[in-house]
Amino acid sequence: MRNATNIRGMARWCLASAAGVLLAAATTAAQADTVKVGVVGPFSGPFARWGTQFQQAIDVYQKQHGKSVNGHTIEIIYRDSGGPDPVRSKQITQQLITRDRVNILGGYVFTPNVVAVGDLVTEAKIPLVMFNTPTAAIIRKMPYAVRVSHTLPEVAEPIATWALQNGVKRVVTAVSDYTPGFDSEAAFIAKFKEGGGEVLESIRIPLATTDFSPFFERVLQQKPDALYIFGPGGPPTVAMVNTWASRLKPAGIKLLCTSETMQIDLPQIGKAALGVVSSFHYTETVDNPLNVALKKDLVEMFGPNTVPDLASVAAYDGMELIYRAVAKFGPKLTAEQAMGLWKGMKWDSPRGPMEIDPKDGDMIQNVYLRRVEERDGKLVNINIHTFPMVRDPWKQKHPQ
Amino acid sequence: MTHLTILLDGLAYGMVLFIISVGLTVTMGLMRVVNLAHGAFAMIGGYAASVLVASGFPFAAAAALAVIGVALIGAVAELTIYRPLYRKGELPQSLMTFGFTFVVIATLTTLFGTGMRTLPIPAALDGLVDLGFRAYPLYRLFLIAVGLALFGLLWVAVDGTLIGARLRAAVDNPRMSQAVGVNVNLLFTLTFAAGCALAAFGAVVGAQLLPLDPYYALRYLVLFLVVVGVGGLGNFKGSFVAAIVLGIVETSCKYLVPSLAPYIFYSLVLALLLWKPAGLMPARSAR
Repeated sequence: MRNATNIRGMARWCLASAAGVLLAAATTAAQADTVKVGVVGPFSGPFARWGTQFQQAIDVYQKQHGKSVNGHTIEIIYRDSGGPDPVRSKQITQQLITRDRVNILGGYVFTPNVVAVGDLVTEAKIPLVMFNTPTAAIIRKMPYAVRVSHTLPEVAEPIATWALQNGVKRVVTAVSDYTPGFDSEAAFIAKFKEGGGEVLESIRIPLATTDFSPFFERVLQQKPDALYIFGPGGPPTVAMVNTWASRLKPAGIKLLCTSETMQIDLPQIGKAALGVVSSFHYTETVDNPLNVALKKDLVEMFGPNTVPDLASVAAYDGMELIYRAVAKFGPKLTAEQAMGLWKGMKWDSPRGPMEIDPKDGDMIQNVYLRRVEERDGKLVNINIHTFPMVRDPWKQKHPQ
Repeated sequence: MTHLTILLDGLAYGMVLFIISVGLTVTMGLMRVVNLAHGAFAMIGGYAASVLVASGFPFAAAAALAVIGVALIGAVAELTIYRPLYRKGELPQSLMTFGFTFVVIATLTTLFGTGMRTLPIPAALDGLVDLGFRAYPLYRLFLIAVGLALFGLLWVAVDGTLIGARLRAAVDNPRMSQAVGVNVNLLFTLTFAAGCALAAFGAVVGAQLLPLDPYYALRYLVLFLVVVGVGGLGNFKGSFVAAIVLGIVETSCKYLVPSLAPYIFYSLVLALLLWKPAGLMPARSAR
């Protein structure tokens, strides 16, 4: 009895393992034509919105263009970097390269996180599409990277130009006391002074500030035509705009800024944002067909309150680059091939026409001057002027 | 006249610090629990009020419901989480309450996302009033009034009522109070619930100055602890003085020497604590 059972068991085992081998063979065949893309971003913690926006835009892109291109399946592997954390960023990037064996890397939000993986990515020769990290200089140290976001000087200079053309002669700047604040401040001031404007004072506001009224009271005393701000995002930025609205707006002092009035944040700021002028590389209300489709699909897939922002368009355009590279070179693509394709590449994006600077891998794109207005009971940015095809001015001023 | 504006600004900021920290000074002083979850209770109140206002409740009703709700949550938390902690050391207390804060943060993030939560002030408080020398935001005057009213109310309640007398006795010497028949357990639960209610109240009325997001509980924790530490544990009058002084000093520094404001603020805190390590006006038992 016992033997009989064993023999039957044996037979079953043989059959099962044969099936297993067959199945494994089939999977390997399919896997051979899978291109793995690692996307690193904050998916938890206070900055998790970035990760969510990345993921939703990538889902929309894959819905519109399919999950494979030219027969090569694209597999996205998401990894959570948390906030600005270079050690963790390096660790998960290393895992993506050595364990998951990704063909392409994408994502990254914070400058220190991308600086930390610079050598690693260069050594491994993995092509990298930076979705954010707006510090101008960092891309120079990364031969296999392109950036699909913007740089701080790229958006700060146009608003200085616009201000001078629109009767603003004297300004005060108030920026958050950290590196992006300094970059933004330096670019604005240089351009504004170059055009003959006067900067009365440059205030640096500590990051932990909750009450901005004394700083802005100081601005009020100097009676400038406008105040230029750069905030760290979230509650402090909202408080800055609100304090401007209650103290400086009644005195006729304009508010100039860059990323402070994204549509996704406007409901939190409320009507205080009305009349704020900002310059940015993406305006949510532009009605090109790609942007209309992006907004429609985001709402259909993720609910009526989904609004695209700079993270969404960066991820969307990042996917465009990745799909094109995979379509052309397949899973065996090299970093050199990818760079050869991407540098100088032109395409249409939800933000407008795009080009990658063949010299340094940074964006050449429109910068829009917008004013916050109320349309159909909703606060939105309306374009009032376009600076066509702006390239990063920092690198032009600091040639290698 | 600018100086008067700065004084008003400082006073309003100090009042928010007072309203939100006074609950913490009482609970920490009375129960000797390092309650790092104070900001979490405040945040729950702010979120609750925000949800209620968004679903159509008037501001005052939403604030009242949120405060009552947080008081109940506080009572339950005292009975379940805090009571076993009383006999433990300060490290387990810090870890437990800090961990509780993370649970609250994660819960609110799951329910409402990482974004900010708006809690608009009622239209009646929005806008400017003419003070003769300038137009000043009405909301800030309201904060000053609320802070003063709360201070008066606490003064009467703590110094003028029997419950207040028992509370003071329990703060000064819990074992002796129990020996003479004060139900210290009940008193602890009620006081803790009241402390949480005050936190929630502060979060609701102060939401314009300290905006709500899931990291509220950690973002402002240092501020709360500074007020309590400088004021002295267990004495709401100390918290009042500390909050007003720190509010006015910080606001004037930001106005006069913006780049040095944080240095001056924390140097002052350091100096005050070196001069009086137990705070400006500690409760008798803490001396």
